[in-house]
Amino acid sequence: MKTKWFRNLGLAVMALSLTFGSVSAVSASSKLSGRIVINGSSALLPLTLQASNEFKKLNPKVKISASAAGSVTGPQSVRKGIADIGACDWDASTSVPGFAAFSGQVANKVAVIPFAAVTNGSVGVSSLSTSDLQGIFSGKITNWKDVGGKDAKIVVVNRAFGSGTRVNFQLKALNGTDFMTKGDNYKEVKSSGDMKTAIETTPGAIGYIDLVYVSGSKMKAVSINNVAPTEANVINGTYKVWSYGYYMTKGQPTGAVKAFIDYVQSSKFQNGSLKKLKFIPLAAMKK
Amino acid sequence: MSMMEVPNLGTVYSGEELGRSLEGSSGKAFSRRARLSFYNRTFKIVCIASAVFVCLILFSILLLMGRTGILTFETVSLKTFFFSTEWVPENEQYGAFIFIFGTIALTLLTMVISVPLSLIIAIFLSEMTPAWLKNALRPVLDLLVGIPSVVYGFLGMTVLIPMLRSVTGTTLGDGILAAAIVLTIMVLPTISRITDDSIVAVPKKFRDASYALGSTRFQTVVRVVIPAAKSGIMYAVILGMARALGETMAVVMVIGNTPQLADALFKPTSVLTSNIVMQIPNVPFDSAWNYALYMMGFILLVISLIMIVVVRAIQGRGVKS
Repeated sequence: MKTKWFRNLGLAVMALSLTFGSVSAVSASSKLSGRIVINGSSALLPLTLQASNEFKKLNPKVKISASAAGSVTGPQSVRKGIADIGACDWDASTSVPGFAAFSGQVANKVAVIPFAAVTNGSVGVSSLSTSDLQGIFSGKITNWKDVGGKDAKIVVVNRAFGSGTRVNFQLKALNGTDFMTKGDNYKEVKSSGDMKTAIETTPGAIGYIDLVYVSGSKMKAVSINNVAPTEANVINGTYKVWSYGYYMTKGQPTGAVKAFIDYVQSSKFQNGSLKKLKFIPLAAMKK
Repeated sequence: MSMMEVPNLGTVYSGEELGRSLEGSSGKAFSRRARLSFYNRTFKIVCIASAVFVCLILFSILLLMGRTGILTFETVSLKTFFFSTEWVPENEQYGAFIFIFGTIALTLLTMVISVPLSLIIAIFLSEMTPAWLKNALRPVLDLLVGIPSVVYGFLGMTVLIPMLRSVTGTTLGDGILAAAIVLTIMVLPTISRITDDSIVAVPKKFRDASYALGSTRFQTVVRVVIPAAKSGIMYAVILGMARALGETMAVVMVIGNTPQLADALFKPTSVLTSNIVMQIPNVPFDSAWNYALYMMGFILLVISLIMIVVVRAIQGRGVKS
């Protein structure tokens, strides 16, 4: 209740700045008009912003304002009526560990997001089984030599509770096993960027991250059950640790909101800008 | 009342003094007087409104934080919130003791390291440095105050922590000691500059008297100058403490952010500020979790308000003596 008008204010400021930024839209023949407010996952924000820029060129009368906080704010804003679209890293119409289902909301798939378990470059382990991962992230396995690496303590780096990446990694890579929560060799970070820095600078560290962040030699993405985390393996169905990114709407989308979601799902956008942003197109997943 | 003086002046000095400005304005002196008094009154109202606005902001922040925070206690008992060490939002457990303890421990540890250091720096600056070096060093300290805290945090994460790791042999390095060192570097310039100023303000006759009695420079500084500058030093320490207490970005990057009690120097832990910034983006509205975070913010706010009151009291005393 109390936080609502804070967020409203934030949205209003965002909306205002975006409105001023988009006055000079290229002339187009669309009659579509309206106003779309998007809030939610920061992982999907680059995609949302790119799509809204392109969409506004085609439909100059549609105003889109997009902002992002955490994944859960997406479906929450939709429930409160603050936003028309709530971007979320999981299907918020079903319940996931820690978060109840948002009833009455429709999940519209917009992209495929692969995740990878990553270790510091010095660890010397290239593949881990699901049970290895469960043991490591629950704190039962504490030394790399127990999983085929050198004799070094394992440092577990986790995202804070509520992170969309955390929800997906727990569901897909750990099969729902709980994370450890305490210990001298356990820490939490608040964003994917911090995760990258922590893994790169901490010897013996293990964590997980969106595949797009994996680069360089200081951080190594490990194979899970001997399957390498690559786009090709996600598409051919052997690498399981990925999830859809969703746009949550209150009921079935209509009007401008529907047109916008259709645009994001269109093969033009999916195979163009979405691919450039290193997401995987939805169509690639249909076997 | 004071408003009316200006128009009165207008009538008293009409003609010679004010010259054409009076006649040049459209018509009678009365209209000018009315206009002036209108401007004056408007200006006064604008000034009062601005002052009221500032107070309103403070009170509405207090009210909002307090009222939202209080809602925590609908689901969590006072005793659990303040004394339980179990902070597990997944299981609806909201014990904030870890964070309150962490904040206090971190602030104290920071002060233990930074106060002696700043005092030495201040004494060096004010008592022992030649004028040219003083003029070079003071701006350096002032510039240090202006460095954004996220820069300190980033350097702490990428430089200090690996260093701590190789020096002490711990595996992770994150924890209360790393945070205290980063905070020390942050508050050092604040404390030492204000201490420096208050030492400089000690009258020269005190020193002269001390030297005349045969004391050494060390004795003069420790027995005479520092006691005389005591209230200024207290002021500096409390300002530094307030900064350390409320610091968020630098702390969150080096403390490890794990809800466990800070009973060792190298154990990842969490404090009020870092826990709020870690969790607020992911918190559901209207949940006890959200209210608990507000309550933690409110506690921080109250602590820093108390500190400001103490600072005011010290300042007042300093002026008298």
